Amino acid sequence: MNNDLKLITTRLDAGFKRQDQVRYQVVIANDPYDQTYNFFLNYQHRNRRLKSQPLHSVRNYSLTYLEQLIQGLRDHTQLSFEFVGFTGQRWPTSQQRIQFRRLNDE
Amino acid sequence: MMNYQNEPHGVFFLIDNKSFYASVEAVARGLNPLKVTLVVMSEADNTNGGLVLATSPEAKLRYHLQANVSRQREVPQDPQLMVVPPRMNLYIKRNLQINDIFRRFVANEDLMPYSIDESILDVTHSWQLFGQTPREVAVRIQKTVRRELGLYTTVGIGDNPLQAKLALDLYAKHTPDLIGEIHYDTVPKTIWPVDQLTDVWSIGKRTAKHLNRLGIHNMYELAHVDPYQLNAEMGLMGQQLFALAWGIDRSQLRKRRGPKNASLGNSQVLPRDYVQQAEIETVIKEVGEQVAARLRHHHKLAGCISLGVGFSYAASEADGRSGFHQELRIVPTDQNVVISQALLQIFHQHWQGQAIRNLAVYTSRLSPATGLQLNFFEPAKNQIKRVKADHVVDDIRDQFGFTKLVYASSLMHGGTAISRASLVGGHNGGNAYE
Repeated sequence: MNNDLKLITTRLDAGFKRQDQVRYQVVIANDPYDQTYNFFLNYQHRNRRLKSQPLHSVRNYSLTYLEQLIQGLRDHTQLSFEFVGFTGQRWPTSQQRIQFRRLNDE
Repeated sequence: MMNYQNEPHGVFFLIDNKSFYASVEAVARGLNPLKVTLVVMSEADNTNGGLVLATSPEAKLRYHLQANVSRQREVPQDPQLMVVPPRMNLYIKRNLQINDIFRRFVANEDLMPYSIDESILDVTHSWQLFGQTPREVAVRIQKTVRRELGLYTTVGIGDNPLQAKLALDLYAKHTPDLIGEIHYDTVPKTIWPVDQLTDVWSIGKRTAKHLNRLGIHNMYELAHVDPYQLNAEMGLMGQQLFALAWGIDRSQLRKRRGPKNASLGNSQVLPRDYVQQAEIETVIKEVGEQVAARLRHHHKLAGCISLGVGFSYAASEADGRSGFHQELRIVPTDQNVVISQALLQIFHQHWQGQAIRNLAVYTSRLSPATGLQLNFFEPAKNQIKRVKADHVVDDIRDQFGFTKLVYASSLMHGGTAISRASLVGGHNGGNAYE
């Protein structure tokens, strides 16, 4: 397991408390300004405020690397992933679209 | 009418970031700072549940929240709202990046960072290189920052730094293009119509009250008062306020003045009311040692030490005072033991059992640490050993981190040093997430 993945999974496990009525989601944001991929754990209790906890920033700014990392993360957790800032981009190997629709506040 | 002929005429920009912390967090999440509904909330122990540090413009509009004022309990449980923890180190990094962008437009000596999200730019000598009018240059700077960092900036333009600041506060923040302008010839129609004195930079609640007592209730009246009368009543501050009302500022950005007497210190709000003497003493010692360590880092000796103690809300109601603040002259030193002892001496003299919520330790009369002044009353060996011990502890902490070597007392009930070690400016630094 590489260092980025290790950091993300340990912080994810620490933040994923499996509370009742709480939705957990991993958010991966494309930061073109810093040239990083930023990982967050978003969680929201039903009808409460959404909280967003930073997990890690990946400095290796290449989709090939990100694809591997996501694969490793999917093996580790069943949580759903949300991608932000990737509209128009496709995964290098599977050629699937990364993000289907642009968010309203993007 | 005022004759402005001999006043300095330049071109000044005061640039600030729109909802800085919130915008940085929005951009990191791939979201637009102006569209997202987001607040940055510090949940440090001493914030009583949570303190709102910044709100995005949208959140400000929807929930009427105020940065640094609104508490967790005032933030509605709206599922549309995103709450994020602060990352102070990230904001410092962004601030440095922004100032680097500004340096492409002005020389370094014409740039003055004013706060974490505000900078003053003297573009008098360089604006012509970047556009036909100052406003065009301002737009260009805004676009550069937006393109490279994703952040929105507001620009106040003036003939001097003061006008730029007022243009920023009074106008730029409320216009769609985020630019405001004040010049000598527009002072009457831009500054004088301001009805609330406290809306103006440098006029706080107390100054406003003082002015109200003199029959001054808005900027127009301040500009038309007899300056000699104002001077007689308020002294130098009176003159300064009069100049403010006429948009006059003679400061020169290139000639920076350092503080006359530097001081160095730390303060903290405690996570709860402290009542027991032993607990309070633990924290006083911790803060004292922190300040002593900073003195050693700056190679300075302190000749005067002050302790400020703020009572809890209930205690200050009962006491009538909100706390006390006392100073003590000491033999110039940077040693933990001497400083802690002096602080405890002040504390014992003035504390009468009140519950405590704030602590502040400041040192002044700083002099360069050129050597150790030995005294006759103690073997020289002991004195030297004590100094060395402090330095060894500093070295270990520099190399391995503060929490790797702490006094046992910090582990006792009430100690705050360990939990505060990772904070930057009292809030989460965010190092752990880099």
